[in-house]
Amino acid sequence: MRRRSLLGWLASLAPWRAGAQSASFPGGQAKALRALAAAVLPSELGPRNLESTAVAFERWVREYRPGAEMEHGYGFTRLRWKAPSPAPVYMGQLQALRLTGDAEADRAAVEASLVAANVTALPRTPEGKHVAADLMAFYFRSSEANDLCYRAHIGRDLCRGLDGSEREPK
Amino acid sequence: MMRRYESDVCIIGGGITAAMLAQKLQELRPGISIVVVEAGNKFFDLNRRMEYRERSIRYAENPWPGDFIEDQAAGGVISRTMAVGGSALHWGGTCNRFSEEDLRLKSMYGLHVDWPIEWKELENFYCEGERRLGVSGEPSPLPEDWRSEPYPMPAMAMTYNLTQLKKWAEQSGIPFWSTPQAKNTRPYDGRAQCIRCNTCSICPTGARYSPDFTFQRMLAGKNFLLHDRTLVRKLVLNESKPTVAAAQAVHRDVPNDPIEYRAPVFVLASGYCWSPHLLLLSQCSRYPTGLANGSGLVGRYMCGHAFISAQIEIDAKIYPGMNEQHGLISRQFFRSRPGTPFIRHDLRVWESSAGHEPRLQSPEGKLLLGDSLLADWRERARRGTARVRGYYDVHPDRESSLTLDETSRNRWGDPLPKIAHRADAASEARQPFNRDHFRDLFQKLAQSGNGKILTTGAGNYWDHPAGGCRMGADPAESVCDSYGQTHDHENLFVAGSPTLPNAGCTNGTLTFVALTLRSAERIVQRFRKPA
Repeated sequence: MRRRSLLGWLASLAPWRAGAQSASFPGGQAKALRALAAAVLPSELGPRNLESTAVAFERWVREYRPGAEMEHGYGFTRLRWKAPSPAPVYMGQLQALRLTGDAEADRAAVEASLVAANVTALPRTPEGKHVAADLMAFYFRSSEANDLCYRAHIGRDLCRGLDGSEREPK
Repeated sequence: MMRRYESDVCIIGGGITAAMLAQKLQELRPGISIVVVEAGNKFFDLNRRMEYRERSIRYAENPWPGDFIEDQAAGGVISRTMAVGGSALHWGGTCNRFSEEDLRLKSMYGLHVDWPIEWKELENFYCEGERRLGVSGEPSPLPEDWRSEPYPMPAMAMTYNLTQLKKWAEQSGIPFWSTPQAKNTRPYDGRAQCIRCNTCSICPTGARYSPDFTFQRMLAGKNFLLHDRTLVRKLVLNESKPTVAAAQAVHRDVPNDPIEYRAPVFVLASGYCWSPHLLLLSQCSRYPTGLANGSGLVGRYMCGHAFISAQIEIDAKIYPGMNEQHGLISRQFFRSRPGTPFIRHDLRVWESSAGHEPRLQSPEGKLLLGDSLLADWRERARRGTARVRGYYDVHPDRESSLTLDETSRNRWGDPLPKIAHRADAASEARQPFNRDHFRDLFQKLAQSGNGKILTTGAGNYWDHPAGGCRMGADPAESVCDSYGQTHDHENLFVAGSPTLPNAGCTNGTLTFVALTLRSAERIVQRFRKPA
């Protein structure tokens, strides 16, 4: 097989490979993902909520739809489509982080990795650049995190009815 | 093979203007047949909107998948949406009225033009529009903002956040009240009460009005057709007289079978961009610069309003996310005082999380993870933020234009429109004063509540655009009369936003609707009353 043909053939496999990794995410990296969650999410969540956040993130990755139309709405006229599944990038990064479950050491490893990847801001939604930043965005941008920060039941992303909205959330 | 459809009224465009017009025409003359032709897709899928909403929140996916036509892109527009329902599929539902000053700029201030309509008459149609859309609101306390009817529904509940913001903002001496919106504060017109989903751009319950509800209801009746995915490419005239004979169209799925719509009355209801565009595309030997363009003003005086925003940190506990889509309004500055420099604007306040969002890095460059990120976030969340915005009057120059861009064509080879807004000389000259006015106003607001301005910014486009087929009494100075009837073709009307000579200083949709409802009463006179 000529080199160009081989490369073309390999490229044609890429979406299939990404799709397969997306469907099976996190594959062999389940433990690493939980160690990452413990390192980058608030300890206030406790083991149960850390676990449920990791599970929700796994589901988010599995249900990701590459190529889906993105919001364009009022004032945003550029049409954009979702990038390929971030699963292969995440799997590679989780493996490379070599997290051990030692919170201190894991945090240092994550920080070094974020610095190396030049990630300095939380994305609006996970975008596939770095698994640690994306897991943090997934949680810290959520309605649940908003409630945790304000120590109140605001329920930003819920449908909550109008009654009681005049009262201070508790 | 050519397919041909005949109806009494052919409405081109399937947004809120078309919905209101078709509905009222059928009520007034139940026997007439109406066809609405829309280039985009239809979304009659209320049952799936909760799912779309979820995907939009979790993945930033388009909550209206397929609501655009990829090769039908106009330069200078602010929304790509082309679909049954138009921009009112994803609008915020804000239903502010203009004021009499918008219609009397020339006679009151010596600026721009007067509209050929009396305010008192238009006010009746505002009331009708509010009833049809289902507007919940609180009357303005200013006597100049009198209304002849109460709002159809009580105002949206003031959240705890808005109560705090009102308390803060009114310390400046400016009164604020609830912004009127086409959202149900009780079950209304067969649609549900708002349940505060906080995602009004995709309302999953139908509590916020969108035109698909009107169209679905009409489709269940008689004499009404809605052809989606059908692009009207040209209007053609009768050979012997200057009236429109047919609209030539193509279905996006059957491009080799042209379609022709024939009707005694044609109404362009395609908004500020695609209505003048179609007129310009419809050039012929008798009208070499396009139909209805005897004045040369089709695609001229494109209007909108400029805006300046600020994020102001205040001494109040604000809980972001209680109801971000509902805000406060003041119309205190709708009237420019005689003897002072001209300025007119609305003033809006919403809850905001600006400056209080989670961040990955401290200002010193330290990475924040887990507990340290949460602690940093909590510390900053102790104070609240108000998002403040003023939409202010700018009046269009004649050269504020929509033109055919010969370098950009759709798949059919038609040149696409290009919009370039341009303020008239008087508006340009006022810019420094406008900026100073808003700077002082934001400072006054901030100072009155121990606040701090975090950011300010001027919009780089004109919002709530309109114009391109402006109305007027003089055929040399306008495209159509106050009913949208074009001066050049007695059976061709333009409805809604394109007919506005200027775009006011607040959201325009309710005004587009009011003008459309008024046009309907003129159009319907062409058909006999039922016996």
